[in-house]
Amino acid sequence: MQVTRRVFTSGLAAGLAAPALLRGAQAQGATIKFGQVVPITGPAAEAGKYAMAGAKIALEKVNKAGGVLGKQVEIVTEDDQTTNPGAVLAFSKLATNADIVGFIGSIRSTQVHAMAPDILKTAKPCMFGGTDPTLTKLGNPWLFRCRPNDSYSGRVIAAYGLEELKLKKWGIVHSTDAFGTNGMKALAGALEAAGVKPVVIQGYANQSQDFTPVVLALKQAGIDVLGSYFTFENDLGIFARQLRQLGVNAPWVGSPSIVNVTALKLAGPALYNTFGVADYAEDSSPEAKAFADAYRGMMKVDPDNQSSWTYDAVNLLAAAINKAGKTDPQAVREAMLSIKGFKGAEGEYNFDQNGDGLHGYNVVQNKSGKIVFSKHIEFKD
Amino acid sequence: MTSITDVSPAARRTAPLGLLAYVALAAVAVFFAATHSFDAYITNILMQAATYSVAVMGLTVVLGLCGQINLAQAAFFGLGAYAVGLGTVDYGLNFWVCIGLGLVTVLAAGAFLGASTIRLGGHYLAMVTISFQQIVTLVMINWIPVTHGPDGVSGISRPGLFTTAQAYLAFCVTVLAVVGYLVWRLPSSPLGRAMRAVRDNELAASVAGIDVQRTKVTAFAICALLGGLGGALFAGGFAYVSPDQFSFAESIVFLTMVLLGGVASPIGAVVGTGLLILIPEWLRFLKSVPGLYLAIYGLAVILIVLFMPDGIWGWISQFTRRFGSRSGVAPVRAEATALELRGSSGHAPEVLRVEGLAKHFGGLKAVDGVSFSVKRGSVHALIGPNGSGKTTTLNVLSGIYAPTAGSITLDGLDVTNLPPHRRTIAGLGRTFQNIRLFRTMTAVENVIIGAEHPGNPVQKAHHALDARARAALAFVGLGDRADELVTSFSYGHQRLIEIARALAGNPTLLLLDEPAAGLNSTEKLELTALLKRIAAKGLTILIIDHDMTLVSDVAEHITVLNFGRRIADGDPVSVLNHPDVVTAYLGSEPDAPY
Amino acid sequence: MDLVLQLLFTGIGIGSVYALVALGFVLIFRATNVVNFAQGEFSMVAAFLMVIFAVDLGWPYWLSALLSLGGMAVYGVIFNLGVYYPLRHRTYLPVIISTIGASILVTNTMLALYGPQPQVLAPVFETPGFNIGPVYLDSQYLLIIAVTIVLVAFQYWFFEHTLLGKKLQATSQDKEMASLLGIPVAAMIMITFVYSALIGGLAGILVAPILFVSIQMGGTIALKAFAATIIGGFGDVAGAIIGGLALGVIETFGAAYVSVPYKDGFAFLVLVLFLVFRPQGLFGERVAEKA
Repeated sequence: MQVTRRVFTSGLAAGLAAPALLRGAQAQGATIKFGQVVPITGPAAEAGKYAMAGAKIALEKVNKAGGVLGKQVEIVTEDDQTTNPGAVLAFSKLATNADIVGFIGSIRSTQVHAMAPDILKTAKPCMFGGTDPTLTKLGNPWLFRCRPNDSYSGRVIAAYGLEELKLKKWGIVHSTDAFGTNGMKALAGALEAAGVKPVVIQGYANQSQDFTPVVLALKQAGIDVLGSYFTFENDLGIFARQLRQLGVNAPWVGSPSIVNVTALKLAGPALYNTFGVADYAEDSSPEAKAFADAYRGMMKVDPDNQSSWTYDAVNLLAAAINKAGKTDPQAVREAMLSIKGFKGAEGEYNFDQNGDGLHGYNVVQNKSGKIVFSKHIEFKD
Repeated sequence: MTSITDVSPAARRTAPLGLLAYVALAAVAVFFAATHSFDAYITNILMQAATYSVAVMGLTVVLGLCGQINLAQAAFFGLGAYAVGLGTVDYGLNFWVCIGLGLVTVLAAGAFLGASTIRLGGHYLAMVTISFQQIVTLVMINWIPVTHGPDGVSGISRPGLFTTAQAYLAFCVTVLAVVGYLVWRLPSSPLGRAMRAVRDNELAASVAGIDVQRTKVTAFAICALLGGLGGALFAGGFAYVSPDQFSFAESIVFLTMVLLGGVASPIGAVVGTGLLILIPEWLRFLKSVPGLYLAIYGLAVILIVLFMPDGIWGWISQFTRRFGSRSGVAPVRAEATALELRGSSGHAPEVLRVEGLAKHFGGLKAVDGVSFSVKRGSVHALIGPNGSGKTTTLNVLSGIYAPTAGSITLDGLDVTNLPPHRRTIAGLGRTFQNIRLFRTMTAVENVIIGAEHPGNPVQKAHHALDARARAALAFVGLGDRADELVTSFSYGHQRLIEIARALAGNPTLLLLDEPAAGLNSTEKLELTALLKRIAAKGLTILIIDHDMTLVSDVAEHITVLNFGRRIADGDPVSVLNHPDVVTAYLGSEPDAPY
Repeated sequence: MDLVLQLLFTGIGIGSVYALVALGFVLIFRATNVVNFAQGEFSMVAAFLMVIFAVDLGWPYWLSALLSLGGMAVYGVIFNLGVYYPLRHRTYLPVIISTIGASILVTNTMLALYGPQPQVLAPVFETPGFNIGPVYLDSQYLLIIAVTIVLVAFQYWFFEHTLLGKKLQATSQDKEMASLLGIPVAAMIMITFVYSALIGGLAGILVAPILFVSIQMGGTIALKAFAATIIGGFGDVAGAIIGGLALGVIETFGAAYVSVPYKDGFAFLVLVLFLVFRPQGLFGERVAEKA
């Protein structure tokens, strides 16, 4: 077979032109549109699938209940390619669609940071799941967070370890990315507020192949309780195994990734009996249970926080627009802020002026691979 | 990287016209960017395309012109972006000051990186740039007090005049147009010619008087500089920078952009950048399967390398050249001025003095204590059977090999430890047994490079160099074909171009390495005549050859080598009848090579 | 002291992985004078094949390993024919770029087929490891170290004492001369790619139970193996092994005593230092680029 240069290049040219022709002609119905920025490609593509599923379940529920302002709701998705520039492009593409009345942003804080200027310019509500505490302090009135921020996770980990487990020799292990670093700061801050100074704080870069030096540092410091912020499950899996192999058996309270489905699969017994803070826990409320049943019906796997927040986000947007009685962004914003005690899958939403909807976390325990709800810790501030 | 000539000679002569068209086109683009109101999505895409294009043009220079690889362009892009981001946000500096600081930083980093490792070239350079990329990324992520770590820097402001996205876009397009113009014109400047020469043939470039290392480092620094400039503009455009935007993967994207568009021209850079920003947007219908379109992207890279080595723009320009204006501009016949050779200013009777020269490769003594001298104005031949060490001697003389022992004095100057290009500046000219021309250039461009080195007492204005090159070509009998690509010449004529290239540099001593090799008998006669004409001009020649007819015809003095040692030295008649020489050539010794 | 021994064991274990992959690099480099930027993907593909056979299909471990290695041999052939062979007469640059393209293609094809979630592959031995005194020895790492030693011995024997090995060596030293001597150069290069794919694949299968099977696993290891190759000297097989081990140890101790987050930085810093001050590597001559 001989592919000549000419054939190849003209084929390439045709291939380049075709999608451009396909694009554009899209029917415009009498629906209310939400825009969703979600990773469809790149490293977070799998999480993106979950996020879309959560939104879709809520969408079906909203539409079955009569939709929004009497119209059916539709979600327009755009791929952020798991990158920041990708997120900016995806959002700006959605923003050009005037029919879209509200957005569901990203679970990744850096992406929300990247999109924030465009969100401000577009001036329509954007629900998001990134947990970097600074996001709601940017003075951007259109950002609404559907997960508790990391300052709460740090406080909850500290409170659970200090008050429930009554342990004081803390070690902290964290990823040096934005999530891990902010989490570490929140945890260390909460501990210090209670008069406890962590004996060792160890950062690591994502995709480390080996944690022996980290584990040995923990061992040498003689910790009796471990707090952790891991971003990627494979890091968590390797670390957990080496931790146990090298004989560190201190109780361990970790950030949400410690109880997610992939981590459980990868780490297996190494994570048994650990505690995790979870913004979503199936047994924490009837609403959470109902979402879990619907999700399992659709996806055949257990839900986690990747989908629960988008589920809440769509429900909240629908509720706020219905409450406002119109899609005017300012009215929707005010309606959103006035919603009190909204029971979502993640917990009870009471938006404060910053746009933080949730103010507490669940603590769950891994009992031989099963995640068991332990306690909900809520803060008033 | 193989590539076609970037600027054809016809295009060069029509440069004023091209320039006019370019300025008009650029003005339209800037005007369009400044006045047409795009929606936010299109503005973002255009902004990304414009700023990336600037960085990709850096790769046009380093990869396309100079043939060096850089897998860290995203790091340079990131350094520029962070300079603007951190400078304006954390330190409250003026936007323009930040751009300046950013450029200084990347220039320093690029020059350092290039200077420390570029001598290794090839794979090593690829590796070092990857390492640099990784280290920059790690520092951006982990040096939190300064870089804000993975959070990145947000709220970057734009300069006063260009606060709106529209105005800023117009500004970026203007910068792109200016950079594009410079990169477009670079190949026909002395620096650009030097880069192309290095890309085409490093050895020939250094022997033609080009400082190869400095040329490469300059190309690398320019590449880094444009990377930083693109990044600085990017930071202002998107108001937010974070480490993951400047990762190794992005460096690969930059590389693919330049390859796809074509490395030979800044237009290729813009085409490639535009396409690789738009293709992922267009291919979103493939998004239902994660990874699919990146897989196609990877496949496209392989297919482009296999089938479209000159990129899309290279392919288009080839196409238009084939069907376009072959008839176009008639070659302007330059006045065939007579070639002047005025290399030597010295008065010593010996132009070259070689004493106790030795070159050992491990245990092999290729040259073993050879001494001889070449008289001013003479034609001197160095002969010997295969493996006798004569080509090694020549390579040591021209600085390609460092000698193990001994000294070389050229026209009174000790050149023993000088690199090749410095010897050329000192008055050495040479040709190669295996012809080493700059294959993507025309005959006259090849010869101009030979004329361009610092030691040459010729005016450095382009028209003077051009005139000298044409005179040299006319001298060897190829004056009317000066504007043809060297690859269109016969083997024998290519050899003549090589000689012209050496002559154009006004050498004090001309080294000819087996000039008769591969020539047919007519060509040999022409060559003999040419050598006599050169000698008649008083130029000293050292010739190495097997061809006894040629040697005995032109040489006044012969040195014979065998097994790395001098076995005879003197006038042709006595040397050729020397018993050792006869033995060596008739191969009566049992262990004579071949 | 316990600490040092534990770190040393880990360093040698992870270093053996780098060494195995580096070995694959060196073989291809010596045969073709080209650095294969898709070397890490050999490991990744083999690990995924293991997941398909041993986990998805539930076939016995040894059979799955054999089938995976068989698959890698085929992959080596395809890789040579698709990525290297058509470009063999061009300069190194197009080949480098073509291998980079191959890396992107293979990684994302795997992503398309298997999704981004890491997969689990059980270790070879039931016992995860044991303590000797205060030092914990992970049995999978012990296996990797053992395999590395065996493979180095095999390689030495193969290249020095078999005809095929000698032909391969002749090819890598001087292709023109080899073909004059009647050695089928194209076939030798094909064998080199297959052998390199097998070694890379073996490394992938062995390391998968420790690092999990993910699409990124190849890239991370390959970059380190690269660095190892340069530290050891590009043209030298023993150098690749020592370079790999040295890098593993340097990295582990650097992480323990200097900084964990900059762990990957040490590898590259050492690499740059070597390139600047000792480009020929610990062993071997500097490889000159062909003019």
